[in-house]
Amino acid sequence: MRILIMLGTICCLLVTPIASAQPIKHQITGLFMPERERDLREVCDKLADIKLVSINYKNAEATFDYVPAKLFPKQTPEQIVQKLDNLLRSASNSTFGVKPRCALPADKLTFVEIPAGGLDCKACCLTAYEAIYKIDGVERATANFRDGKITAWIDSRKTDRPTLETALKNRGVTIGKR
Amino acid sequence: MSQPANIYPIAVAILTALACVVPARAQTPFFEKHCHACHDTSSKRGGLDLTALKLDASNAEQFAHLLKIHDRIESGEMPPKNKPRPTAEEKSSSLKTLHDVLVKAESAKLANDGRTRLRRLTRVEYENTMRDLFDMPGLLLQGELPADGSAHGFDNNSDALDISHVNLAKYLKAADHTLTMAIATQPKPPSVTKQRISLANPHGFVAHVLLHGDGVLLKNKQPDPEFPPAGEHMHIDQGAHERMGAFRNGSSVGLFRHEDESFHPYFIEFVTIYPGNYRIRTSLWSFQWDKGKVLLARGTEAARLSIVQLTGDGRGGGHPSTVLGYYDAPSLNEKVHDITTWLNKNEIVGFNAASLAPGANTRGKNRAMGFVGPGIACDYLDIEGPLHDVWPPRAHQILFGDLPLVEFKAKAGTPKRKLVRQEMGAGKNRPDPSLGLWTVHSDQPLIDADRLLGKFLPRAFRRPVTPEIRKQYVAKVEERLKAGECFELAMRWVYRAALLSPDFLYHIEPTEKIDDHALACRLSYFFWRTMPDEKLMHLAALGKLRDGVVLRGEVERLLADGKSQRFVEDFLGQWLKLRSIAATDPDRKLYPEFNMYLQDSTVAETRAYFRELLDKNLDASYLVKSDFALLNERLAVHYGIEGVSGSQIRRVSLPAGSPRGAFLTQASILRITANGTTTSPVPRGAFVLDRLLGQPPEPPPPNIPAIEPDVRGAKTIREQLAKHRDNPSCASCHAKIDPPGFALEAFDVIGGFRTRYRSIGAGDPAPRGKIDPFIGIQFKLGPKVDASGTLPDGREFLAINDYQNLIAADRERLLKNLAGQFAIYGAARNLTFSDRAPIATIVANTNKQGGGIRTLIHELTQSALFQTR
Repeated sequence: MRILIMLGTICCLLVTPIASAQPIKHQITGLFMPERERDLREVCDKLADIKLVSINYKNAEATFDYVPAKLFPKQTPEQIVQKLDNLLRSASNSTFGVKPRCALPADKLTFVEIPAGGLDCKACCLTAYEAIYKIDGVERATANFRDGKITAWIDSRKTDRPTLETALKNRGVTIGKR
Repeated sequence: MSQPANIYPIAVAILTALACVVPARAQTPFFEKHCHACHDTSSKRGGLDLTALKLDASNAEQFAHLLKIHDRIESGEMPPKNKPRPTAEEKSSSLKTLHDVLVKAESAKLANDGRTRLRRLTRVEYENTMRDLFDMPGLLLQGELPADGSAHGFDNNSDALDISHVNLAKYLKAADHTLTMAIATQPKPPSVTKQRISLANPHGFVAHVLLHGDGVLLKNKQPDPEFPPAGEHMHIDQGAHERMGAFRNGSSVGLFRHEDESFHPYFIEFVTIYPGNYRIRTSLWSFQWDKGKVLLARGTEAARLSIVQLTGDGRGGGHPSTVLGYYDAPSLNEKVHDITTWLNKNEIVGFNAASLAPGANTRGKNRAMGFVGPGIACDYLDIEGPLHDVWPPRAHQILFGDLPLVEFKAKAGTPKRKLVRQEMGAGKNRPDPSLGLWTVHSDQPLIDADRLLGKFLPRAFRRPVTPEIRKQYVAKVEERLKAGECFELAMRWVYRAALLSPDFLYHIEPTEKIDDHALACRLSYFFWRTMPDEKLMHLAALGKLRDGVVLRGEVERLLADGKSQRFVEDFLGQWLKLRSIAATDPDRKLYPEFNMYLQDSTVAETRAYFRELLDKNLDASYLVKSDFALLNERLAVHYGIEGVSGSQIRRVSLPAGSPRGAFLTQASILRITANGTTTSPVPRGAFVLDRLLGQPPEPPPPNIPAIEPDVRGAKTIREQLAKHRDNPSCASCHAKIDPPGFALEAFDVIGGFRTRYRSIGAGDPAPRGKIDPFIGIQFKLGPKVDASGTLPDGREFLAINDYQNLIAADRERLLKNLAGQFAIYGAARNLTFSDRAPIATIVANTNKQGGGIRTLIHELTQSALFQTR
């Protein structure tokens, strides 16, 4: 089913021009806690010519309705992702963004859970999240001050747990015992 | 032509000198009988040889010498008590001889010099005059002007008011600044903006301390669920919190931390662009924080709002500021404070959790979640303005009347306009879009110039201006117009010239008996520290000001006006030296409970008390002893008086036996007369003698070292002074200076009552008493205080209350001194020997009417002493 959706998305992006709004799925950055779903909806309400259809928190994905040719005329699919990322960032004080969807199947990703201290609120979690999600090989991540856990799905060929822990420590996050 | 003019003063001087040399023989019998035994050529006690004395008072040194002898005989201090007393006839005859010599010499001198000489405006007078001349009540100028000197206790005496090229350069700058602010440059007023600001503005100090747990964000009087209090770990990354909108979600800010060297809470998101009146509203409340819970507060706390003048690029803290006021924050019950105030460009509002303990904050392992203690919450600060009820503003209309503002079209003589913009990065408010270059237009410039100057010059010069003078200014306008300047620039040039002229900068009093306009100025500068208003000028023009009833009515009107607070502040600032309140910082180890809230409260007490004496027309004994005090909660706690809540000063009846209330025992006075670490009876005693009793002590002899109190607590100051008094040359003066100082030993450096000295060395552990539980105590209790003493006349006192009773009984002396202080300040000159009789008359007339201080002011203003130059 997921493969079908992905193929559908790619097809949608490749067909130009598209005259009417189409549901298009993107991987979202900044969706690190369940409460962030509400934040994303508020941010998307401020965007013109683009409508948030649904959010898949588990996969850090969101489906939007928009007309790529109208919103981002003459752009390649990669450029469209980049433009949408800019749009979302400027609307959210750089707390949300869009990144290319994961090329690796989910079952090939390694799940890492890091117990953390020093996370008092959602903004502290943003700091922890930002410390790791940009690391090459980190496909998805969460950070939650309520359970004190930071999680990541990583490509183990590119990164590993110690790299993540070091990045977190450098941003002031206290790493707890496993 | 010039020769007689040169000879005349010399001749006068010679004749004067000759007239003053009275044969010494006339005085000989008294001196021989009562003085020569100690003060002859061989004994020469105190360095005084009366056998060689000539009754010549023509030079200042000799005058002072004879005056001292006169006063010693008059007071009965000489001959000494252990010597035969002169008869009353001997004494009065001797005094009359000396009196006549002194008065004659003084009259001759004053015939040449005058008493009140030409003097310029002081800094305070200059700023107030400019504010009132242009109706810009918050105009700040005096900080840019050179400091004034002081003579005879006050800064408005010509001896203290020199003028140099530095003054002139600063006056030029001040005049330009004022005119730039006054002249409207747009056809409509700036838009009124209303901005709500959180104390936790991004990039600010408060946002930073919230991350560390020295404060919390609150919603509905509970911790904000989206920004929980900092727990064992601080919130990390201020930037991330700002991006997430943690400080923009409408939460209230609860602070546990007092302002300090590294923490300056500012509302930095509104930085004034347009000077003018602004309405400020803020909502405050207090609470008790208990590790994450919000509970009832310990009482009403107080927050301070201040106006901060941003300097440089506006970043950081520690910018100069002035206190706007202290405002109540009741327990869990928000109170909205509504204030309208003038703000200048680049000013913001500052905040301080004033009633919280200084130095106490929550940084520790458990931060806010481990802290139990008081907090002050600020829901918001609304700022609205600039508020203009007329446009162009009054300042502009004073300069240009109702001439229209038009868009400037010509190419030459263009008026200069500085681009209006937000100069401080933190300010979120923005200027209006420019509507182009606008200026004042006149179809008949010289006629309009004549009309405008005809109104402006008499107000600025505080007296009628002759047509000839006005024409000179109009001629300058014509000259500038011919040089190609537009009407606005030409007029600006002459207005600036007027503001730099002696007619504006100086108090002009042309005749010996000052004319009505000069009298109007004297009254206005006495009670308002500024130019006379329209009514005073009108009465002066009608020649009615010397009518006793009219004059009395005007004095009442001036005192009832809000501007008379300037008199209260300026007079007390100098008479009781309140200007020096911050000259020393109390030692933090010895006096950890001291903070700015206490300091400002002590100053407010002294001002409010003086106002109460005036309003209630109380007698002079209240200068040193009172049955009421003017207190707020902070002061009441400091004085150990129960039942006072809140930050506002109010009248409180004192319990029987309380020494508080009067100036003598007010914390401000006790602070000013101490050095921040220790007290000494010498400066305190000298202060009481000089400022309250009117008997300034002689300066200390050369080569006598000052006594340094022992802060280790090993030896009391009294023990050290006892040794000092063994020296006969010190004993006579210290017999007068020390007693009031000994009585005031009952109070410490910050005006707290004490029975034992505080020590940072040896001593017993100090009980906390009323000191805030969040303040650490390091000092110990050293030797016991002995506040007893003996007056020079032999009367003894055991404690401060006894001393108060003794000097309060001498109402005459207290009133006489106050009359002198008012006279020096109001007439802007020192009192001379020949003023003693008029002062005695003023005091006598006051006493006949009950001896009230307001009555004293009326008697003074009605007197020839006040109404002559």
